[in-house]
Amino acid sequence: MTWMQYLAPLLKGAQITVMISLASIVLGGILAFLAGIARISSNPILSGIAFAYIALFRGTPLLVQLFWFYYALPLIGISFDPITTGIMTLSLLTGAFGAEVVRGALLAVPLSQHEAARALNFSKSYTLWHICMPQAIIEMMPAFGNLAIQNLKDTALVSLISIADLTFQAQSLRNITLDSATVYTMTLLGYFIIALFLMFIMRFIEMKLRRGAAFPRSAHS
Amino acid sequence: MHKTLCYGIAVLALAAGIEGAGALTLDEVKSAGYVQGATANEVPYGYMKEDGTAAGIGPDVAIAVFKRMGVNEVNWTVTPFGTLIPGLKARRFAFAAAEQNISPERCKQVAFTEPNSSYGEGLLVKKGNPKKLTTYADIAKDPSLKVAVVSGANNIDFLRAVGVKDNQIIIIQANADALSTVQTRADAYAATELTVAKLAEGGKDVEQVKPFTDPIVNGKPVRNYGGFAFRPEDKELHDAFNKALVEFRKTDDYKKILTSYGLSEESIKAAAAKNVADLCAGK
Amino acid sequence: MMYGYEWDTSSTLAFATSILPILGIGLIVTLKAAAVGYAIALVLGLVLALLRRSRIKAVSWAVACFTEFVRDTPLLVQLFFLYYVLPDFGIVLPAFMTGALALGLQYSAYTSEVYRGGINAIPRGQWEAATALNLTRLQLYRDIIIPQMIPRIVPSLGNYLVSMLKETPVLSVVTVLDMLGLANMIGERTFDYLVPLSMVGLIFLPLTLTCSALIHFIERILPKAGIPLR
Repeated sequence: MTWMQYLAPLLKGAQITVMISLASIVLGGILAFLAGIARISSNPILSGIAFAYIALFRGTPLLVQLFWFYYALPLIGISFDPITTGIMTLSLLTGAFGAEVVRGALLAVPLSQHEAARALNFSKSYTLWHICMPQAIIEMMPAFGNLAIQNLKDTALVSLISIADLTFQAQSLRNITLDSATVYTMTLLGYFIIALFLMFIMRFIEMKLRRGAAFPRSAHS
Repeated sequence: MHKTLCYGIAVLALAAGIEGAGALTLDEVKSAGYVQGATANEVPYGYMKEDGTAAGIGPDVAIAVFKRMGVNEVNWTVTPFGTLIPGLKARRFAFAAAEQNISPERCKQVAFTEPNSSYGEGLLVKKGNPKKLTTYADIAKDPSLKVAVVSGANNIDFLRAVGVKDNQIIIIQANADALSTVQTRADAYAATELTVAKLAEGGKDVEQVKPFTDPIVNGKPVRNYGGFAFRPEDKELHDAFNKALVEFRKTDDYKKILTSYGLSEESIKAAAAKNVADLCAGK
Repeated sequence: MMYGYEWDTSSTLAFATSILPILGIGLIVTLKAAAVGYAIALVLGLVLALLRRSRIKAVSWAVACFTEFVRDTPLLVQLFFLYYVLPDFGIVLPAFMTGALALGLQYSAYTSEVYRGGINAIPRGQWEAATALNLTRLQLYRDIIIPQMIPRIVPSLGNYLVSMLKETPVLSVVTVLDMLGLANMIGERTFDYLVPLSMVGLIFLPLTLTCSALIHFIERILPKAGIPLR
């Protein structure tokens, strides 16, 4: 087989990789906001649960988490198909790291903003969503960009729970052709190209957010 | 607001995840139109061909037997050998067709059918057999030698039984890695005789050790008997398959399948002579 | 039985405690792999960072591309590449060294960015004063730049050490018997993955927490102005 014949199976795998990455980035993003806000909430139970979740998923390796959800959990009766398991685990991980980014950005909103909101009699939730968030989101974007790339790289591990992603296809091809150098080089290039696209998308979103900011960023710039 | 969202996600997740607690029956399989089987990509016992269809001693026989039961479609999952039984228990597939050796330990976890094939052990080495190995015990004699086995296979038990130390054993994830491992990091690969024969056919710098003596464990030379594995709770499906398998074993088609993969007439007769109850009891 | 230790599957607690010694052996492998990998990352990262500052555009550009490429591609695939391709060129490294090398290579891309940021953060005045005093490039880097850079980069470098610790289980995929590899083996022999895998997770938690605490401690006791190297 020549390198051109490798393209078809590798592209099939790349499709799965992109799908899993996008799904877990989106879900992870939602989790990040939920957990980040819960973490700074004044409710001790919410804050405690968020803290436990963030500490657990940031403190343990992704591969151990994946294997645990895929091999260990079924032994107590809860079993998901491979793709669901993969997306779920990746979302939980990205969410935990993202929660810290959200928390940091929200805490970085200047005290003066909070004081002004209090003076204008805004409720806590209004302050959060209409005052703090717009300013914080722009701060979060560069870090989210890094998390997105990290997520893409982490998707390679789902090949180890029998998901036919780009790495899995590369392994199959290698087993059949024994042409490690070509196959793996093409795979690495594939991930790199997807990463470039991802970075482009994240920069685009960041740019759109910056231009659309209704509030002057004088406190930060 | 986000509290209800959390509850919603949790309920959905639970609903999606908790599989039906009931056993899988033949009727359910027939109404679904297909049954899900698993192989470990090990030639010739059960493997995927380049076009995506499954082949091998296990899959070919399983497809024929299920046809006799009225199920015309078998879908296949490829999973590492060591995860066949855990995957079966996790309900990821209905049966495993990798010709796993019917051992007392495995019988405690899954319900095997009557044996489908019988095979001995083998060693794959670099061309020319530079270390002059003829049996597993030879590896134990020289502590500097390294031997590779597939994760989850019981060859590791035979190696240990003849005295090979843990630090001489390299665990690889898939049979397909054996070729490159023997050429670079290990002096030999321990697997069944057929597996080694097929690998030697395909590889240029490797050969099957001939003549080879089966390792002696508990006073007698090792002989493996491969069978299909089902979940114990899917008793009805297992019994129906078993009955159809025993019928199929009497036909010529069955013999043709097995001999086409390299099994000898004696090994086919040997498989038919044993029964699963004895094998699970360790006899 | 593994490495001479029997496990006891009579109850969950008995099982968990009886596999601790086996997992302990795996923990040592994990720590060794992280140590070697981190050493490679620190040294290689510095080399890459300095090369990136080279005035020869081709060198600086090549290093930039290489660094970006390694940073944006998965460790797993890089590991497979080193494990399977190097032997094709006659370099057969044992699995452990291949794993440590892969870790070191991937993280050197991160550390080189940290070094670059650290070097760029040093005020221009320092560079100019060094030129005025006629210091050689060696003296400049050894006595002025690097001592001042170290306290600034310790937090980031420390975080990468913790990250690397968490990435070592990937090595189990190329036959390195670290904690996860051993836990999987125990799972296969006993058909119970829940206990071994949970134990591995439970061992990693205090491991990463201790490591982070250690890094914070080092950050605190480092003099802010810089560490003299002589």
